[in-house]
Amino acid sequence: MIKFSKVNKWFGDLHVLRDVDLHVSLGEVMVVCGPSGSGKSTLIRCINRLEEIQQGELVVDNMKVHDRTVNMTELRAEIGFVFQQFNLYPHMTALENVTLAPIKVRKMPKAEAEKLGRQILERVGLGNKADAHPAQLSGGQQQRVAIARGLCMRPKIMLFDEPTSALDPEMIKEVLDVMRDLAREGMTMIVVTHEMGFAKEVCHRIVFMDEGQIVEVSSPNDFFIQPRTDRAKMFLSKVLVH
Amino acid sequence: MWGFYLKGLFESLPFFLKGLWMTVAVSGLSLVVGTIIGFIWGIIRVSRIRFLRTIIGAWVDVIRGTPFLVQIFIVFFILPELGIHLEAFPAAVIALTNLAACFICEIVAGGILAVPHGQKEAAKASGLSGFHQMTRVILPQAMRIILPPLVGQYVLLIKDSSVVSAIGVTDVIRAGWLTVQRIPEGLMVFGLVGILYFVICYPLIRVSNTLERRMTVAATRL
Amino acid sequence: MLKFFNFRVILDYMPLYMKCLWATIWLSGLSILGALIVGTIACAMRLSRSRSVTGIAGCYIESIRSTPLLAQIYFLYFGLPSLGIRISEEVTGVIALTLNSGAYMAEIIRAGILSIPQGQTEAGIATGLSYPMRMRYIVLPQAIGATIPPLLGQTIVLVKDSALLSLISIAELTRAGQIMTSERFMPAEAFLTTAVLYLLIYYVLKWLSDRWQKRLIFRERS
Repeated sequence: MIKFSKVNKWFGDLHVLRDVDLHVSLGEVMVVCGPSGSGKSTLIRCINRLEEIQQGELVVDNMKVHDRTVNMTELRAEIGFVFQQFNLYPHMTALENVTLAPIKVRKMPKAEAEKLGRQILERVGLGNKADAHPAQLSGGQQQRVAIARGLCMRPKIMLFDEPTSALDPEMIKEVLDVMRDLAREGMTMIVVTHEMGFAKEVCHRIVFMDEGQIVEVSSPNDFFIQPRTDRAKMFLSKVLVH
Repeated sequence: MWGFYLKGLFESLPFFLKGLWMTVAVSGLSLVVGTIIGFIWGIIRVSRIRFLRTIIGAWVDVIRGTPFLVQIFIVFFILPELGIHLEAFPAAVIALTNLAACFICEIVAGGILAVPHGQKEAAKASGLSGFHQMTRVILPQAMRIILPPLVGQYVLLIKDSSVVSAIGVTDVIRAGWLTVQRIPEGLMVFGLVGILYFVICYPLIRVSNTLERRMTVAATRL
Repeated sequence: MLKFFNFRVILDYMPLYMKCLWATIWLSGLSILGALIVGTIACAMRLSRSRSVTGIAGCYIESIRSTPLLAQIYFLYFGLPSLGIRISEEVTGVIALTLNSGAYMAEIIRAGILSIPQGQTEAGIATGLSYPMRMRYIVLPQAIGATIPPLLGQTIVLVKDSALLSLISIAELTRAGQIMTSERFMPAEAFLTTAVLYLLIYYVLKWLSDRWQKRLIFRERS
């Protein structure tokens, strides 16, 4: 489904992705973790070309993302992206937020899009908030609308860039619950997060990154009980203490 | 003597009102067309096409660095040398429209740049085309930032329109200039001119101030 | 047409242009200094506690801002003689520019003073400093630094505004262009040269403003 081959990326002089090789299968749930600055956000932002890679190959759903001549609009419609800062459109209601792309990109008729929109908002537990503006919603509610916005396009892949990092602690659970349900339904997901409980429960593989490199890839059990590399061990000891 | 002058002034009132109408016509036309062009240039100014960005940037800079009077003279006197013969009114409208477009371009560009970058990314990530990103997500949010300085700029342009009297357009200021030749009471004649401009500009300034206040309140509420 | 752009004639007229460029510079310079003085006084009046004093300053500022500079120039040029005051055009011009920019200066200075965070004044009060002392040591030194960029901006506006003085026969830069056009029928050479010279002043002032901004950033970092 997603394949990184010898991918390298620089921000100016800073080498943010080093020789990244990674393969994600259809229906797989993958968690990417690591210290800040390790390149994990950059990694998933490359998948829908929010960031461009300078070297190597990146193939997503049989499309060559690394090739600049390839038009990304169609592929982006198949990939849902959830941002750390939600990035909901403040001048639109929740319903308008989630139906904008289906109407304009998939050319769905408005009535059909609104029906779908309400359905999906219901699914994330916000059916009664369809006509509210983002300013009237809590952080957790806004993030769930952001997830609904991604789901309304019926994507093949959902990408999450630290979805709970900007939330107050009491709102993290409601967002993780939605993500857990998605995972159980078989969605292909890549999640950058520090929420290790979620990782342990739901994902198939954990990728640990440090300084732009993929240091360790293993199943959750192996990773938490028996990390193979020292860097992973050090990271875990800091993260799991509290 | 004062009574005589006052009577003369009163009789000239229709003349002044005709001049006022001319001021409104020149300003109105230039503001409408200038706003449209200004928005287009503003959007280009923040686009990724470096070539267009630089050209428009250079043109705007030249227009902002030279007096409007000189620009009007250039349009009125130099274009005929290139074969384009213009009467005073069209020349005035062209010059004022260009001035409006340049200043509005900068206001629009500033407004677009003030919209948080994440909004564009979210729109892009859902597959929206560049056109829809701009029209549905970015511009609506930029408008709140653009509106107060835009109205302020309208006031400035209406005042700048007085300069077109220099090439013979009979607006309200030229009406005053012609009248003062007959009625040598500069204070009264141009006092009247001032009042007429005040009547148009002062309400607009108040609108701009209110808009600015409301916009800062709304932003802090978010 | 343009291929016959006559550089020789421009060279012939260079002495005139240089004389008029100098006129523009000293007229603008004098007016800016005058505007600073008038603006400071008007600003102090605006911040006073007496309602009538604030009102007078307010009326002055609002009338200037709601009427075009050209109307103000003609008001003085035609109005003062009818009061029996006979002064040269240059003095009339400087007075008009001074009063005009003075109103905008008042707003700029006010914004500079208000930009000092409330907390600083409170810290001053808490340590027992009196109002004059707080003004002298805390508020004004910082306000002056913040005021320089908009002040340079207003200077640029003033230089462009000074072009209007050509319409009351003052021999400044724009008038040089008018003279050359009427004597030689070469508006292209005449007004393009004028435009280039104005741009020269504009870019020098812009450069000064940029250097000051860099100095401010440098100071803030340390």
